[in-house]
Amino acid sequence: MSEAKLAIHQTDASEIVRTAHEFLAFSLAGESYALPLPSIREILKAPPITEIPRAEYDILGIISVRGRITTVIDLRRRLHLEEGPLTKDTRILLVDRGDEVIGVLVDLVHQVYRLHPDEIELSSVMGSDVSDHFVGIGRPGGEGSETLLILLDPIALLRRN
Amino acid sequence: MARDDDSGLRDEFLAEAQEIVEALSRDLLVLDQAEKEGTTSAEQINDLFRSVHTLKGIAGMFGHPTIGAIAHSLEDLLDQLRLEKVALTAEVLDVLFEGVEHFQRLLQSEEESEAGIDLDAFAQRIGQSLGVQDGGATEDPLRALDLEEAMLSVLTEYEEHRLRANVEQGVTIFRVGLRLPLLSIDESLESLKEKLRSLAEIITYLPSMDGGDAEHIELVVLIASTSDKEVLEAAIPFEGTRVEEVKRRDGGPMSLGPVEEPQTTDLTDLIAAAEAAPSSLTHAPPSAAQLSGANQADPLSVRSVSNTVRVEIDKLDHLMNVVGELAIIRSAIFRISERFRSESAMRELSIELHRINRGFERNLLELQNGILDVRMVPLGQVFDKLARIVRQAAREHGKEVRLVVSGKDTEVDKLIVEELSDPLMHIIRNAIDHGIEPPKQRDMAGKKPTGTLALSAYQRGKHVVIEVEDDGGGIDHEAILRVGIERGVITRDAAAELSREEIYNLIFTAGFSTKSSVSDLSGRGVGMDVVKTNIARLGGIIDVDSEPGIGTKFTITLPVTLAMISALLVRVAGREFAIPITSVREALVFEESEIRMVEAREMLTLRGSSLPLCRLREFFGIADAPPPERQFVVVAEIGSRRVGFLVDELDGQQDIVIKSFGPSLQKVKGFAGATDLGDQRVALVIDVPSLVEESGMQMDRARLRAGGGV
Repeated sequence: MSEAKLAIHQTDASEIVRTAHEFLAFSLAGESYALPLPSIREILKAPPITEIPRAEYDILGIISVRGRITTVIDLRRRLHLEEGPLTKDTRILLVDRGDEVIGVLVDLVHQVYRLHPDEIELSSVMGSDVSDHFVGIGRPGGEGSETLLILLDPIALLRRN
Repeated sequence: MARDDDSGLRDEFLAEAQEIVEALSRDLLVLDQAEKEGTTSAEQINDLFRSVHTLKGIAGMFGHPTIGAIAHSLEDLLDQLRLEKVALTAEVLDVLFEGVEHFQRLLQSEEESEAGIDLDAFAQRIGQSLGVQDGGATEDPLRALDLEEAMLSVLTEYEEHRLRANVEQGVTIFRVGLRLPLLSIDESLESLKEKLRSLAEIITYLPSMDGGDAEHIELVVLIASTSDKEVLEAAIPFEGTRVEEVKRRDGGPMSLGPVEEPQTTDLTDLIAAAEAAPSSLTHAPPSAAQLSGANQADPLSVRSVSNTVRVEIDKLDHLMNVVGELAIIRSAIFRISERFRSESAMRELSIELHRINRGFERNLLELQNGILDVRMVPLGQVFDKLARIVRQAAREHGKEVRLVVSGKDTEVDKLIVEELSDPLMHIIRNAIDHGIEPPKQRDMAGKKPTGTLALSAYQRGKHVVIEVEDDGGGIDHEAILRVGIERGVITRDAAAELSREEIYNLIFTAGFSTKSSVSDLSGRGVGMDVVKTNIARLGGIIDVDSEPGIGTKFTITLPVTLAMISALLVRVAGREFAIPITSVREALVFEESEIRMVEAREMLTLRGSSLPLCRLREFFGIADAPPPERQFVVVAEIGSRRVGFLVDELDGQQDIVIKSFGPSLQKVKGFAGATDLGDQRVALVIDVPSLVEESGMQMDRARLRAGGGV
């Protein structure tokens, strides 16, 4: 990653922390992740997904959300996690990436956390080799928290296709 | 062209101008408020500037010189405001308001003269506003030059800018008269540029009205130079060259020194110039009498002239989605009524529900047709633009062309109309460039010196057919074959087997062009293959037929609407796909035993001709379920190319709404979008043109791998 891009990304990250106090937590392959609540449009039970021949590997296919064709990605695949089965808890988060709302398949939706700035450890202090969709670690309840949330930047995460 | 034809254009102009003026008026009120509060921003003024600029542009296009002239002067004022050379004061705002008021009056009045506008007084006030910071208006240095208005009016903005810059820097302007042989005009101009490079700046070349003959052309070249007349004369290598200094009208010194003051423009002059300027329009500027509208010169009415509403196509798409949703609800109700029917106690209720549902269905259909209807616009919109192109192209190429238009009222989907103008423009330029012969040649062939280009449109079922036919030299199919073989578009062996129709369709192949050089008129490096691709993207096909010596005819067949199309639903490996019915020719039961291998392609024989086979299961990489015993071949046809798609099942025909993919799926090839079939089922819509193209390419590669020569 170039330095310029890193700088922009860090601004974005701190922006996310400053403006989005609330995060929606969900689990994926046993870990807890969270996206800023304002980026989440809707949570759906997974309907049948129409796969698209020759689309990229992490694109599961499309669904119709009240008549609107919506691309669904498998977040496990995108984050290079092991594959998992669809269960009754599987949900699709409709996430706004700016120019498009994308369906994001997750294992289970937990709850909304309200995080104070001192409950967030920014990725920028963890070194320079982290992925650009990784904003930081959230510790609800402060240090010594049982729950660790991996905070994601929806735009960096979904603006790839 | 008949007067009536202009009314569509005029209405369009009025509607658009009205909108701009209304926006201007709103923005101006906001600016006024901001000025009072001392919170004006450059952005606000820039917005106004842009609106006025747009208005000027469309006024010029539709031949409304008064509006154009007022817009021009307001534009000057706003330009100075945004450059902060003029301060925004209440007085300046008054002038801006006055300008907008004039626009409103002009748009509403039937007679320009009766709009009660004192243009001179207005021009004066503009001048005063412009002069606010330096206490007086200065004259545009260009107007001081002894140059004809006609010449000034044809300068491009950049040329005008260069001319002004040179005058302002005190560089002398010279008018050079040249007589050049037509045959070598390009070389002559090159050499002129070369010779003058170090001495002068060439501002523009203009063909002179007088002089010239069949072999020569008279040119006027404006140059700016600090050298003397004699030096220039000596430097220009052509006999009979006349160099004269362009003097100031008042005989004053050329050099004005660096001038930074804003310039005013004389409104009446501008109007005269606008009216005198050669119009590239096919339409004469509509006289004010034809500008329909409310009562003239009444106290300014708040009422809008236009009773049309502009709607973003997205909003219509949204309504269409809602209709789709309603259709799904309708089928759900239908299922419930069917369930009731089997229970005797509910029978009566079931019948009632069924009846209500039928009424719902009828209204829904009407709603759907209504929305489709709103999207429809007459093809006349494109045809009018094309008429201008015809004139221009004919003039540029020294040909005489008469354009005959029919079927202007034929309506097609707005999106199709938008996408249609480029391909049609290309075909027409081609017809004039390559098709219609020069007058002399036509005379020798016993034809009328004026060529005819017929542009016609008509509806045929759910399709619209557009034909472009010329009575020119036609296309020589021997020449097509020769070039096709030369360019490697087709092999010599394959060429021998082509039908006449197939030969003509070779011109749509990428890399094909019968003229060795790219002509400025039709070329610009874009060939007929692009035309074909563009038409195919609209779900249409293009065909060409030609008779050497008689003429050429292009036929474009398009679906009436893109919003809702009929599709054949098919199933492959458990997945549902929709194939637009417009490109489906027929469907057959597949017989594995009938496959023949031709140059490593799988081929079927269909009524004597070969049909390349595309196994969708393999092609899409979805071979996870074994194919059923009985399979079908869907014969798809795009232009002259046919492919048989091998599918598992045919699920019948259905009207579908194609919804495009989001940006995240732009890279995926082979699909035009998807469609909602209800019951949460989404089917992919196959993009037949791209698949035909791609499967052809794949097979070519397979053939190469198999050692076949090309």
